[in-house]
Amino acid sequence: MTGTTVPPELAWLQALREPGLVQGWDLARWEHVIRIARRLRLLGRLATAVDAAGLMPKVPAQPARHLQAEMQYARWRSGGLAWVLERLPDMLGGVSYPLVLLKGAAYMGQGLSIGLGRLPSDVDILVPREHIADAQARLLAAGWEEADMDAHDQKYYREWSHELPPLRHPLHGLELDLHHNILPPVARTHVDASLLLARLQPSQWPSWQVLAPTDQVLHSAAHLFHDSELRDRLRDLVDLDGLLRHFGAAPAFWAGLVPRASALGLHESLALALHFCTQWLGTPVPPAVMAAAQARGLSRAKALWLLPLLEAALWPADPDGLPPRRQAVAAQVLLVRHHLGRMPLGMLLPHLWHKIRAGNDSGAQATDPTR
Amino acid sequence: MSEVVDPAVSLRLLGPELLRHTLARDGVKLDLGLVRLRVQSDELSLPRQLIDVYGHFAAEQSSPWCDMHVSLLRATGPRRWLRPQVRFIADGHTEFEPFPADHALPLMEWGVNWLIGRRMNNMLLLHAGALERDGRALVMPALPGSGKSTLSAALSLRGWRLLSDEFGAFDPVAGAFRPVLKPVALKNESIEVIRRFEPSAELGPSFLKTRKGTVAHLAPSLAAVLRRHETALPGMLVLPRWRAGSATVLEPIPPQVAFTSLAFNAFNYAVLGAKGFRAVMSLVRGMSAWRLEYSDLEDATARLLDLWQRQPAQASAVPRVNLATGPAPFIGDGAT
Repeated sequence: MTGTTVPPELAWLQALREPGLVQGWDLARWEHVIRIARRLRLLGRLATAVDAAGLMPKVPAQPARHLQAEMQYARWRSGGLAWVLERLPDMLGGVSYPLVLLKGAAYMGQGLSIGLGRLPSDVDILVPREHIADAQARLLAAGWEEADMDAHDQKYYREWSHELPPLRHPLHGLELDLHHNILPPVARTHVDASLLLARLQPSQWPSWQVLAPTDQVLHSAAHLFHDSELRDRLRDLVDLDGLLRHFGAAPAFWAGLVPRASALGLHESLALALHFCTQWLGTPVPPAVMAAAQARGLSRAKALWLLPLLEAALWPADPDGLPPRRQAVAAQVLLVRHHLGRMPLGMLLPHLWHKIRAGNDSGAQATDPTR
Repeated sequence: MSEVVDPAVSLRLLGPELLRHTLARDGVKLDLGLVRLRVQSDELSLPRQLIDVYGHFAAEQSSPWCDMHVSLLRATGPRRWLRPQVRFIADGHTEFEPFPADHALPLMEWGVNWLIGRRMNNMLLLHAGALERDGRALVMPALPGSGKSTLSAALSLRGWRLLSDEFGAFDPVAGAFRPVLKPVALKNESIEVIRRFEPSAELGPSFLKTRKGTVAHLAPSLAAVLRRHETALPGMLVLPRWRAGSATVLEPIPPQVAFTSLAFNAFNYAVLGAKGFRAVMSLVRGMSAWRLEYSDLEDATARLLDLWQRQPAQASAVPRVNLATGPAPFIGDGAT
């Protein structure tokens, strides 16, 4: 196992796994951690960990009430997800094809610690591509609705995406994303979804399956490092760290990880995930696995320019004021890289032109604060 | 008023120049009762706006803890020279679309309310105006056209202590309402109504063409500021309704109406789950509930005071709602 020291700015993350550490925190420390954890959507997780360890009475009153409040909020959001997942199989009317939970829902469905205290706002489900139209039709018949979108966006989802447009239901507060793959079919990295479907595993919830442990790690890594936005995404690294620690307890997991990454074409995402998990979170990774992943996934030349960009974008900014300029620049460069990896230039330019004209690529939330 | 605040550090006495420096550096810390707020800003119009409506609040320099940290910063980019805008940032994260730069105060007020409503889920947050008298709370849920802010403002100018014009923040553990003391946001006609009702009312500047029309804020009184940590037991529930030309009508309403008016106007009733249900039930059982229809503010406030003083039932209601000591049949069920 590698033995790197975690950067002191990220040391608080260790409390998610070892909540006893919070007993050494003074008020100033708590104030900082609550602000940064809230922004990274990790406050509910921290609160749940502290509470489960029976340490809530030892937390000073000022931070304790924020932990209690966020735990209440997370309980409500998680309950909403559980309710959807309980009802969906009935809404789909007993289909014979597999129904697969992805990401947060899958972590919750396996009872993983990283599944606790989450604030799910959507539910991600994978079905075999040949059945996705059937699943969508059944959901629409059961009261789920497609959001209004223009012809361009419809075409985008139909032809270029690995998921259907999000569905909403008047009784459920969550968006439902129906996937047939974990990356877009036109992406430079093409994932063969049939390989994923061949290794499904049961979850704790009847009717729902999850990806194999290696595939969950690889999906989580691909989801992060193929995404357009890496700012405030440290939570995804924490998820990866949690998956690696949990599944890594079984030696067979490590033996299968790098070969599986190669089979799915996700060796770069894996190399990046292992790099940041070990460097920033102290995730234990067998040196041989680390070496094999780096050799396959990331050339030295590429690491030289890509790693600093990712570092700048992923590093959690100070909660006072605005994120530093270098983070914004890194995020822009990575956005261009993302778009180039996601679709060929001949497709990308018309797509970007449409987005610019439609003016819907805005960064800030359009929430109306005035209710 | 046992609590002594050094008047030398109230925002008003600090003055716009020093406040501007404080805002631009470490920020000014405002104790609103339920939450302690830290505000940073580089917007030059904000200091005077803050002094107008938070003038009696102490500018605390050295408090060791703040619950919320917000910044109101000028938006960058070419448009800053043409049509300057200000952004609301919480913990380094930009929330909402920017506002025109000279509307920093309304943006801050709405933004902070939004943060309180989203974050303080250890309280039942009723969407209601709340005032205190004799240690008890008068709660007025926000129904469309209720004019809860206007009535809250008027009562606060007639001897009631303002707790909040937006949040009936009920602490289920203490069984009491806690102040969320902020300026009362008055909209459109209400601004002139309050000015006529009480010419000495401390109103801040009017902000034209906001998303809710014209908005002006009534500054909480010094007495309300000094007592911002004093809670109030549940007292009376009133559903107000302003109707042009109507005579003042005050009549009791059935508990099921009281229940829906509290629960379904709350910010976080669903979030609290069973706890929310039990909290609302305890309030419905512990407070008398009335419907108020009015057009004349002077008459309405007088009738409310009269009703309040003729309410002997209040004393006997204490054990049912005092959740800290009572048998607590409806709340504090340990479902945490």
